[in-house]
Amino acid sequence: MALTGWLKSFLGKNGLLVGLYILIAVAVWIVLLIVLPQLFMLDFSFRYNLPPGQVGGPQDVYTLSNYKYLVFGSPGNQAAYNWIDLSVFGQTILAAIFVTLIDLALCYPIAYYLAHVAKGATGRLLVLSLIIPYWVNEILRAFAFRIIFGASGVINNALIYIGVIDQPIDFIREDVALYTGLSYAYILLMIFPIYNAVESLDRNQVEAARDMGASWLRIHWRIVIPYAKPGIASGCTMVFMLTAGALAAPQILGGPSSLWFTQLIVQWFNTGGNWPRGSAYAIALLIACVAFVLFMMRIFKIRVGEIGR
Amino acid sequence: MRSHQLMKLMIGFYIVLFFGYLFGPLIIMSVTAFNSSDFPRVTPWDCFTLEWFPELRRDRFLVEGFQNSLIIGVGVVLLATPMGLAGALFLTQLGRRARSTFYTVMISPILVPGVVLGISTIIFWRRLGEMAGVSGEQNILYDGIFMTILGQSTFISAFTMLVFIARLQRFDPALEEAALDLGATKPQAFRKVLVPFLKPAIASAAVLAFLASFENYNTTVFTILQDKTLTTVLASKVRYGIDPSISALAVLIVALTLVGAFVYEVLRRREEREAQEIEARARAAERLDLQEAATGEGPEAAPAPAAPTPSGGRGGFRLEAHHLAILLALVAVAGIARLMLSDDVYTADACKEQIRFEKLERQQELMERQRQLMQERLQQQQQEQPQQSAPRGDDYRSIFDPGNLQGAEPRVDEPEAAPAPESDAGPGGAQDYPSIFAPQNLLGIEPRVDEPQSAPQEPEDAPPKDYQSIFDPNALQPAPQGQ
Repeated sequence: MALTGWLKSFLGKNGLLVGLYILIAVAVWIVLLIVLPQLFMLDFSFRYNLPPGQVGGPQDVYTLSNYKYLVFGSPGNQAAYNWIDLSVFGQTILAAIFVTLIDLALCYPIAYYLAHVAKGATGRLLVLSLIIPYWVNEILRAFAFRIIFGASGVINNALIYIGVIDQPIDFIREDVALYTGLSYAYILLMIFPIYNAVESLDRNQVEAARDMGASWLRIHWRIVIPYAKPGIASGCTMVFMLTAGALAAPQILGGPSSLWFTQLIVQWFNTGGNWPRGSAYAIALLIACVAFVLFMMRIFKIRVGEIGR
Repeated sequence: MRSHQLMKLMIGFYIVLFFGYLFGPLIIMSVTAFNSSDFPRVTPWDCFTLEWFPELRRDRFLVEGFQNSLIIGVGVVLLATPMGLAGALFLTQLGRRARSTFYTVMISPILVPGVVLGISTIIFWRRLGEMAGVSGEQNILYDGIFMTILGQSTFISAFTMLVFIARLQRFDPALEEAALDLGATKPQAFRKVLVPFLKPAIASAAVLAFLASFENYNTTVFTILQDKTLTTVLASKVRYGIDPSISALAVLIVALTLVGAFVYEVLRRREEREAQEIEARARAAERLDLQEAATGEGPEAAPAPAAPTPSGGRGGFRLEAHHLAILLALVAVAGIARLMLSDDVYTADACKEQIRFEKLERQQELMERQRQLMQERLQQQQQEQPQQSAPRGDDYRSIFDPGNLQGAEPRVDEPEAAPAPESDAGPGGAQDYPSIFAPQNLLGIEPRVDEPQSAPQEPEDAPPKDYQSIFDPNALQPAPQGQ
């Protein structure tokens, strides 16, 4: 009843045509594009991998086998747990945390500088020039790092030329290229939230602290960082989620020994041909990432609603 | 004071380093597109060339992927812009708690990994077909391009929504009320008041949606199925062997991106400026009202002209920025078309020929020098052991030493002509490339490493020293001669 009343007032306020447009578009977006696909994927991840003829048949029942596979491996497995996949999973999360911390360390000074030190035309130009690399294709950004870090890449050539090394360093095998590329890929998603948060800080607070004799480090620790906490949180959340879910950079820059969890998911879908298991892996990744983010926000006392751009 | 300056210097250094990190990779990648070397690299630089650009057009997959990307991009713009707008309008009319819930739901696709969005999209549409009794192949909705548009729109709509929300925050509802009071119907008020107000936001949202769609990979790689988009073609190219045509493509994309970013920025600036003007005008009007109320008389004429001046002054600049943006876009598009559509580009044939010739020449020179060095060595050896072993050693040597095949004659005829060995021309030296052609190098490496062992191992009755010194590149140096 309350809903129909609300519907009537909504349509009355917007007019029938516009009101219907808004409601239908929002419904399509939320129901058809966001909620239902996720629910279907969740449902699918609890099913057996059946040939098309048996779908909906008597064998099409729910099962936990796909999740069990992630944790325990195939039934004939000797080891107690599926260490290969689990370690890839753990490594992905750890690497994502690592990349997030690198980005935070890199971006905080820049964001503060842009928001409070650089003013006028210089500041605007710097902000604009931050945006540009972000719009270059993800694949090409990774490709650029392959040119730079390759065996005959710019860095190796330069180092050999200076005489620091005489054999090229395999940056790709050492995962240097991967971490650099990933930090690069999402650096702007870290800068802008912090920038937005720091920008509104009243400069007088910093001045007051300085007048009272606070050191430079203390000013940041006690005033700027607490103030910018929501921005830092949303930047970290975005970088973490996107790094954990990254696919292009690990595919292009990853060394032969390092696998990203998303690559496992892709394998189940493509060569593995087991969609339900791939879905289960995807759900596991999603849940782990969301849980981790919520946990961290709990620790740092930040609400979800503050995340966004 | 000094520490302060040091600090400033360090900050400046950090800023430079940071922007070097941001732009260095893109610049280096772009530069490699103009190097004629077969591998994308900056050093060594061969020749300036444009040959990699027409190459792109000959790649059937790339062209096909590009076309699909354009179709998908347009589809996403047409779907995500209205959806984002509807989402923003919807949120503004909700209560506090409902708004926060819906906002979280609508924003969540940005944070969900793109892989998950792609997977859920294909599963959903395939299962939908299966439920209706249509199998995967006959399902019209289970189509790569269709699903890619939907999958990308899921999160791109959230981007566009954020653009619209930012714009709507500045919207004065009184405008719409005024229109309604003046007798406009609701659709009319929407079309004539709200939409014109949102026009700059619509434009920038559309640009944003297109760019985001064009560069997306994670979602697309699943939803596109057997088809191709530019990014998926690019990814497979990059993963399985790289060549400078990818750099050439990168240059084009970077150029287009620069233009796109510029246009986007100009639009955004204009929107901001307009908003500021509106605000300034409103403030001026408010002040006017206050003054009128205070004095009870007409205005003192001072605040009244204050409102139009800024808008007039900025109007001129705005026009210029627009023209510049359009001009830049046209120039970029024309340049790219010129590069792509004609085979008649600068390919640096003469320069490449020159480089090839130089390489060949250097190679021959080095070979010649090596041959001479070897002859020299042989002669020295012959002089050292003239009687006892010379004939046998000669026989032996001439079997194993391919250099003798060529060197036999000169050794006899012109022993004096051989120049003194140059110290930098050792076979194992820096020029490893030409030394491939000197076969004795292949053998010469081993004895050099462990001379003492290799000598006794030889069963031949040739004097070990003699034998060794042929294959031993160290023999070139004066040191072994003394032994």
